[in-house]
Amino acid sequence: MRDISVILKSVWKSLFVFSAISVIAVSTVNAQDAKEGRTLFKAKCSSCHALDAKLIGPALTGVSDRHDEAWLLKWIPNSAGLIASGDAAAVKVFNENNKVAMTSFPELDETKVKDILQYIKEGEPKAATPPGGAVAAKDESTSGLSIAGIVAIVVLAIVILVILGRASKLLERLILLKQGIEIEEDVPLKVGVRKMFKNKKFVMFFILCLIIALGSWGWMGMWNTGVHTGYQPVQPIKFSHELHAGINQIDCQYCHNGAFKSKNATIPSLNVCMNCHKAVQARDKYDGEISPEIKKIYNALGYDPETQKYDEGKAKPMEWVRVHNLPDFAYFNHSQHVVVAEDAIRKAKGLQPTEPVCFACHGPVNTMEEIYQYSPLTMKWCINCHKETDISGQKNNAFYAKVIEAHEKIKKGEKITPALLGGLECGKCHY
Amino acid sequence: MKGSTLAMNKNKFVYTAFLAIAFAATFSACKDKRSTGLEYARNMYDPIAYNPDQPNKNFKDGKTAQLPPAHTKPVGFTEYDEYPNTKEGYEAAGVSMVNPLPVDTVNLAQGQHLFKVFCAPCHGEKGDGQGHLVKIEKFSGVPAYQTGASSRGGNMVDLTAGKIYHTITYGVNNMGSHASQISPTDRWKVVMYVQQLQKGQ
Repeated sequence: MRDISVILKSVWKSLFVFSAISVIAVSTVNAQDAKEGRTLFKAKCSSCHALDAKLIGPALTGVSDRHDEAWLLKWIPNSAGLIASGDAAAVKVFNENNKVAMTSFPELDETKVKDILQYIKEGEPKAATPPGGAVAAKDESTSGLSIAGIVAIVVLAIVILVILGRASKLLERLILLKQGIEIEEDVPLKVGVRKMFKNKKFVMFFILCLIIALGSWGWMGMWNTGVHTGYQPVQPIKFSHELHAGINQIDCQYCHNGAFKSKNATIPSLNVCMNCHKAVQARDKYDGEISPEIKKIYNALGYDPETQKYDEGKAKPMEWVRVHNLPDFAYFNHSQHVVVAEDAIRKAKGLQPTEPVCFACHGPVNTMEEIYQYSPLTMKWCINCHKETDISGQKNNAFYAKVIEAHEKIKKGEKITPALLGGLECGKCHY
Repeated sequence: MKGSTLAMNKNKFVYTAFLAIAFAATFSACKDKRSTGLEYARNMYDPIAYNPDQPNKNFKDGKTAQLPPAHTKPVGFTEYDEYPNTKEGYEAAGVSMVNPLPVDTVNLAQGQHLFKVFCAPCHGEKGDGQGHLVKIEKFSGVPAYQTGASSRGGNMVDLTAGKIYHTITYGVNNMGSHASQISPTDRWKVVMYVQQLQKGQ
């Protein structure tokens, strides 16, 4: 009996293992097809098609239900030829999609097309691991000064507590001595406090504490008046610099392209967002829906992702909240700093070659989920940098070459005009 | 007994009072990051003239940034009307537009810098269609300059300067127009560099 049960068990086991292996084998064969198809889809199709959204061409999920495979095998490698041959279905598809011709793919043979169709049928495989770095540790930007302040306050509070505890015990004893222990009535708290304030030493101490506390509060308040360091307003779109400049590694200049050309770094207009977000809609994170934040771009532009048309009547400008705001009486020019002075600033601030020069003042923007003001932008801050930065050895710099040229002319006693020193630049007067 | 209760009450009172003060001091020391904090003479920060991104009641649509009036053009503006954003315009540009800039190291170096900033995120630094955004699967379907096929017919490697310029100006498929970001002169520098990449250099 025992033997039989052992044999049965082993048979069951081997059957189970066999079936498991065959299931895995079958699924890997399928996955192989779809995986190959996915690679091909990403390389050939996705510049115009998505699985579940209309891009340039129609959404492709369910395409095998809409058309039979034999037709698709003719259409995908040579759609233009099929339309020219007068195939009714082909002409219909062509007309339905605004007569935009689909690229011909003669290099896609039958197996490759079938791989792609298999991938479209199975859909995007579920991601096993969340995208790395998205939950990067947030840099708490509490400054050293405020931590020191908090610690000082706590220490002060403890010292005061200890001293007052002792003082109150002393008073307690005095009260008890004066009134005798037998007295039944409670002494109201008010009386106790009033007595405490009759103690001259205590009152002196209290006033001293008050003066120190209020004085330092007022002093710090005055220093921080008009200084916006750390200012991080809520923006109308939750645009993350951490995602765009950090994870996606898009250069600052792609959006703020004015910084290298003009006084202003420029806030990008929404057409710059649309360069990517026409296609990037983050649907995988919102159950196939367009991300609500990306939708705000579409709404502001009056853009309909279904028809891919703009309706200017529905457009409404995006009202970003300005973070960095110099007083209107101070002139600052971005290009002068990031183009002319780039090398000097890099050296002075010790930036890595991989970091953009912008980090010198704007801080590690690629780690800021929400943008905040990193530098104080006070006059003292400007002056200190202008005092310390070494700009010698700028020989191949067109700006300094001009300065040297002017100096040579002055030395030789030649005619020199304000125009030669940039006096005709519009911005010298009109800014 | 009563005495000790009294002592306890008083201690409690003193402790709570000072804890409250300490908390108040700590929290008032924390700056509210959503506000600019105390400001003196705010009007000195605000511009007297309108900034381009400010609301403006003087215009119907409430914006300061207005388009130039009809039939006018800004100083230094390069027109591109003869090559519209159509298949015909694209082919015409491919035939008749030539790069006005001489091929030299300065132009190529600037073209390379602009290419890295504006194109390489998708097209890759070598133009192989394997930019960072493609590698992390945010974008796909970017053809390689050396081996890919153009969606408008022919191979990427055969694209002429005029066709590349037309594509940068208007965009194609999932690539948007980069006309607002790259000036016409800079576009020609990028074209020059892209043509180097087509040759695999």
